[in-house]
Amino acid sequence: MSLARRLISAGFSDLDKGERFLAAPELDGIDQDALFAGLSVAASPDTALQSLVRLIEKSPGLKKLAAADLDTSEPLYRLLGASEALGEFLIRHPEHLDVFNVRVSPEPMSAQGAELRSTILRSVKAEPGSQRPVAGITGQPAYAALRTAYRRGLTELAIKDLCAASPQDFMPAVGAELADLAGAAIEAALAVSRAEAAEQFDVGDVADVGLAVIGMGKCGARELNYISDVDVIYVIESGTLDDARAATIGTALASGLSRAISSPAPEPGLWEVDANLRPEGKSGPLVRTLPSHLSYYARWAQSWEFQALLKARTIAGDRELGSRYEEAVAPLVWASAGREGFVESVQAMRRRVTDHIPPAEEQRQIKLGRGGLRDVEFTVQLLQLVHGKSDESLRCRDTTSAIAALSAGGYIGRADAAAFDDAYRYLRLLEHRIQLFQLRRTHLMPAAEDAQRFLAKAVLGPFSLERPHPDQLMGTWQKTKRSVRELHDRIFYRPLLNTAAKLSSEDAKLTPEAAQGRLAALGYLDPRGALRHIEALTAGVSRRAALQRQLLPILLGWLAEGVDPDAGLLAFRRVSEALGTTHWYLGMLRDSQAAAERLCQVLANSRLISDLLEVSPESVAWLGNDKELVPVPFEAQWQEIKSKLSRHPDPESAMRLVRLIRRREILRTAIADSAGLVDQDAVGHALAETDRAAVLGALHVAESAVAGSEPLKTDVLVVAMGRQGGREIGYGSDADVIYVHRARPGFTDAEAQEQASAVVARISSFLTQPLKPAILAERVLVLDADLRPEGKNGAMVRSLDSYAEYYRRWSLTWEAQALLRARPMAGSDELAADFVKLIDPIRYPAELAETDVREIRRIKARVESERLPRGADPARHVKLGRGGLSDVEWLVQLLQLQHAGKHPDLRTTSTMEALAAAVKLGLVGDDDAALLEEAWQLASRIRSANVIDTGRASDLLPSSRRDLEAAARWCGYAPGNAGQFEEDYLRVSRRARSVFERLFYGY
Amino acid sequence: MDRQQEFVLRTIEERDVRFVRLWFTDVVGSLKSVALAPAEVEGAFEEGLGFDGSAIEGLARVFESDMLAQPDPSTFQILPWRGETEQTSRMFCDILTPDGEPSAADPRNVLKRALAKAADMGFTCYTHPEIEFYLLKSQDLGSNGAPVPVDEGGYFDHVPGGVAQDFRRTAVTMLESVGISVEFSHHEGGPGQNEIDLRYADALQTADNIMTFRTVIKEVALQQGTYATFMPKPFTDHPGSGMHTHFSLFEGDTNAFFEAGAEFQLSKTARQFIAGILKHAPEFTAVTNQFVNSYKRLWGGGEAPSYLSWGHNNRSALVRVPLYKPGKGQSARIEYRGIDSATNPYLAYAVLLGAGLKGIEEGYDLPAAAEDDVWSLTTAERKAMGHAPLPASLHDAIRAMEESELVAEILGEQVFEHFLRNKRAEWQDYRLQVTPYELQRNLGIL
Repeated sequence: MSLARRLISAGFSDLDKGERFLAAPELDGIDQDALFAGLSVAASPDTALQSLVRLIEKSPGLKKLAAADLDTSEPLYRLLGASEALGEFLIRHPEHLDVFNVRVSPEPMSAQGAELRSTILRSVKAEPGSQRPVAGITGQPAYAALRTAYRRGLTELAIKDLCAASPQDFMPAVGAELADLAGAAIEAALAVSRAEAAEQFDVGDVADVGLAVIGMGKCGARELNYISDVDVIYVIESGTLDDARAATIGTALASGLSRAISSPAPEPGLWEVDANLRPEGKSGPLVRTLPSHLSYYARWAQSWEFQALLKARTIAGDRELGSRYEEAVAPLVWASAGREGFVESVQAMRRRVTDHIPPAEEQRQIKLGRGGLRDVEFTVQLLQLVHGKSDESLRCRDTTSAIAALSAGGYIGRADAAAFDDAYRYLRLLEHRIQLFQLRRTHLMPAAEDAQRFLAKAVLGPFSLERPHPDQLMGTWQKTKRSVRELHDRIFYRPLLNTAAKLSSEDAKLTPEAAQGRLAALGYLDPRGALRHIEALTAGVSRRAALQRQLLPILLGWLAEGVDPDAGLLAFRRVSEALGTTHWYLGMLRDSQAAAERLCQVLANSRLISDLLEVSPESVAWLGNDKELVPVPFEAQWQEIKSKLSRHPDPESAMRLVRLIRRREILRTAIADSAGLVDQDAVGHALAETDRAAVLGALHVAESAVAGSEPLKTDVLVVAMGRQGGREIGYGSDADVIYVHRARPGFTDAEAQEQASAVVARISSFLTQPLKPAILAERVLVLDADLRPEGKNGAMVRSLDSYAEYYRRWSLTWEAQALLRARPMAGSDELAADFVKLIDPIRYPAELAETDVREIRRIKARVESERLPRGADPARHVKLGRGGLSDVEWLVQLLQLQHAGKHPDLRTTSTMEALAAAVKLGLVGDDDAALLEEAWQLASRIRSANVIDTGRASDLLPSSRRDLEAAARWCGYAPGNAGQFEEDYLRVSRRARSVFERLFYGY
Repeated sequence: MDRQQEFVLRTIEERDVRFVRLWFTDVVGSLKSVALAPAEVEGAFEEGLGFDGSAIEGLARVFESDMLAQPDPSTFQILPWRGETEQTSRMFCDILTPDGEPSAADPRNVLKRALAKAADMGFTCYTHPEIEFYLLKSQDLGSNGAPVPVDEGGYFDHVPGGVAQDFRRTAVTMLESVGISVEFSHHEGGPGQNEIDLRYADALQTADNIMTFRTVIKEVALQQGTYATFMPKPFTDHPGSGMHTHFSLFEGDTNAFFEAGAEFQLSKTARQFIAGILKHAPEFTAVTNQFVNSYKRLWGGGEAPSYLSWGHNNRSALVRVPLYKPGKGQSARIEYRGIDSATNPYLAYAVLLGAGLKGIEEGYDLPAAAEDDVWSLTTAERKAMGHAPLPASLHDAIRAMEESELVAEILGEQVFEHFLRNKRAEWQDYRLQVTPYELQRNLGIL
């Protein structure tokens, strides 16, 4: 075999370099076969070879070990291949090469914490047996000695870890031993610090101050990483000194300790000793007495601080003081689930787990993000806190023990627990191996293929038959992440179902109290009611119940993310009862995760959609298919209505069908909106088209109802005005309209007028009158003709000629302004064209007189003070209030009246299109327009949100926190940002108002 | 129930406290008090006490008048002036909306938010106010149409057998007994004018203390048959009552304003903080000097600063850097001399702190220190040196504040809006008045 092939088969990445190092004189005399046998077990043979050559250069005696049979040399090659950093350490300290003189075991023993403590204490010449050990050496020599002793211990542990038959099984023991090693190092550092303090303070005083080092986080839980900050809290006590003196000495001891661990010295620092979890964080005193700690926790501490205390454990210093601390804080931890704000703090914590990942790292994070290590740890801790209050068996610190305890106590299913545990260990193993290589604190999967190849090999035990490969590594990792994500929901909710469904399974089953506690912790306000719904959904032997038992664990999680989980669950139950036996419903829930998630989301967030879905459950089917959620174009709706009308000559049943189609299309738009498939403009457009089809249908029905078998005497045209004209309506908006007619040849004006009046009256009543059977949950289309000439006193409908006459004689500025948004909506096309021809010169005048401008300003100013409902806060009224819809629209309309005569681009009924055209023409600055658009869009969105959330229209920015939260989410804010959203709206509208005042009023 | 709440309930029991008052502040800084029976205190801790907020200036939107007052047990105090027989106590409270969220309209919450922002940047803020006020014979005006002071003393005067002397002794004792430490007290420049300096404390506590201080001073004056006023400028001919406040920022245990060896021992942080205050002072003057009368003080001479300037131990500057005493790095601080005694301390401290932090965030440059007496410069000189004037009237101040994104951000949109509305109404009212000055000047000749 050529050397190159041999190198490849041993797993080398850089062949040239490999060849060069193989030719190194240091390797002379080592049998090539033995060398390659060794290198091929190294995770990175490249690194192993380089370190080996440099080591032999320092310590030629190592040749013998390198050439020995694999049983003997395996620790050497595995360590050098898995850790460049520990290789460097041995090159710095060849005296420690005797670490390799071990018989490695596939099932290694853990080192005893006490032994590690003694060894490292002795390295600084401290007496392990003494109550408060004091080092015999100080300064840099002491730091170097202690760090070398620590790293030797680390090397021994790494060898055991790398040679263990199943590194995944051995992982918890590694975490524990790393924590013990860290504790031992801190103990020795404290001994050094005591010796140093004795140079500065009175020896007796120093000895009098007891200091307990409480490990927090992973160190406290004995599940430490190879390299990570060690989180600590210091507790001091003194027999005779006053508190201030004791605190001064205690602070000196603590800072000296940290110096011994991490300050610069010939042997590099170990890691940071991080005391920021202490009371008051960075700004609090470094050390406190036990009573001072407790008074802080009793008075000031926040929810998360108690949760952090779950991991607190004495790791060094005065054990007895430490255990008094542990005993005193334990009750606080377990009472924390009952504290106010627990649910919120949990949800906020969960968001911290899943958010705030730099996008560049998102794909590579092992620790953060959904399915990462934190996700597992969070889930386990939350369950511990919820159930540990009453069940002491759950009160353990580390994650793997906690999973086992939760499983043993029946809080999570056995199979789920096993899978969760397995995933956790695998992810930790990845993290360990990545960190071990350079002893660098990182939680990112490597991106380079070489590094991935190294990792793939490093996670395998010695007897593994798998062939390591980067793709396979990445595949397993992705699968594990996915499985953690799924397990997360199953673990939370599955046991709830077992309780609710009264299953006699041997698997996890909670007591009703525990089940309610868990539901409450997840955000259900009425856990008792929720449990009843779950019971109803899962009881029995029907196929539906069986399937729902499978699915509910995940569905409950999605519902819990909504604004109103309780209402969502109830609505789900109703929909499910209505649809339960249809085959596609169960199939969709089972097969389409996206559809099921979308369903839960709309049910828990929207009253409007829930109500509509309950009365037309068949629409649930759309959720599974984005194509079904595309707004249906007007032509298609009209086709459907036409064919229905031809089959149902009776006006009542015809109108019933027309209105059902409208109800259906509104629901479709709302669901598409909630799924983020359409933007605000498209929503307005779709809703306007739906109304148009309905009005056209009503017009036809009215005409045939009025004329009967006679020929029609006149053509009627419905013209949309206002927001309907601009296609800017929201859910359930009224439609502003005016009616035009023109007598057909052969009929007198009077005859035509009479018939037109009858038709118009019918259109309106057909669209709104109650029908039997009633159309449930319908938001009837109210036609409002108040914008017609002469307003409420004028005729409902006028002939085209009458309009022409009226506008010629009377036309007022406000009417011209209203006509800006006139858009023929239903009726004769020729009449529509003639009407537009008639009004265009009025709404787009060649010039707008200064008096007219002043008149418009005056009317606007009056409207502002008069139209606002009594007592409404102008800042919160999104339509008529400060910087609301009407401000933006009036400004745009003024510009249209002034300039559309010359610039046809401005001739549109759409506010946003007109604004954009005005920007192009230089009538409005870019920045001003952006502000106006932002305010207008946000206000429109809030109006939609109000209807969607409550089922009732409202033009006010909600004031209750819950409704505000719902509106915030509808407007695209992340959960928990209601306050920010409120503040943003108020700010945006205030700015828009100042732009408006400047441009509209000219000040 | 936490320890502090327990302590409050126990004290109420043991000292036989008959009345409990919940104190809070409206947007203009008037103290509001809700009475509570001792039996209701426990419930108020847990759920807050419901009250109709619509009656309180700026507190609630009209349609949402139900508010909750939640007492802060750490502020519990027995009020000494009510005597021993029927003990009365007070606690400050936070105002919550009906769903238990901190009300955006609560001035105390505005300051808390500003302090939280400072904390996010790693700072704690300490303040130390020097509060001036006049002691009058009574609330009634004298024959010349002006208030009547209790004495005719001047700065640091010891007026033998003076009312003020007694008054200060009683007031200081009483302040100490409600837990407010007094640094210094002396007779000020005007007749009947006194100054009492409070010891430095964190900004929220100081603001609470100022609210208590005003009440104590007024109560003691009443007891002694006099009348105390914090009106910014009660006399045309005598200096107004200011509330110079010293600010310092700490990072952990170190004073972030101190840098040994730098010019005036001022750290970069301090320079940026001052720059922030100077740049934004015109925008927040409506808050620190919120009454029509406030501008009579600002522009009425005396020691009041009217121009944007800073200086080392320069008493004519708006921001003064006190003389550094060697070895006292921890006491490095800056003094803002614009605030008057009638401000809402929560809002005033919030805007000053916010403006200073803005300076730090954006790294503003500080212009050169003023070395001359800024008052004695000519207008042209001041212009040349960049000492722009503060707003000349409440109206100007309102206009400047309306344009300020920073003040809107610090106060929150709701307080911002309420405050401006209130101030516009005040200006409107004032403009309608025909003053004695006009009558005196014009009636005879026109």
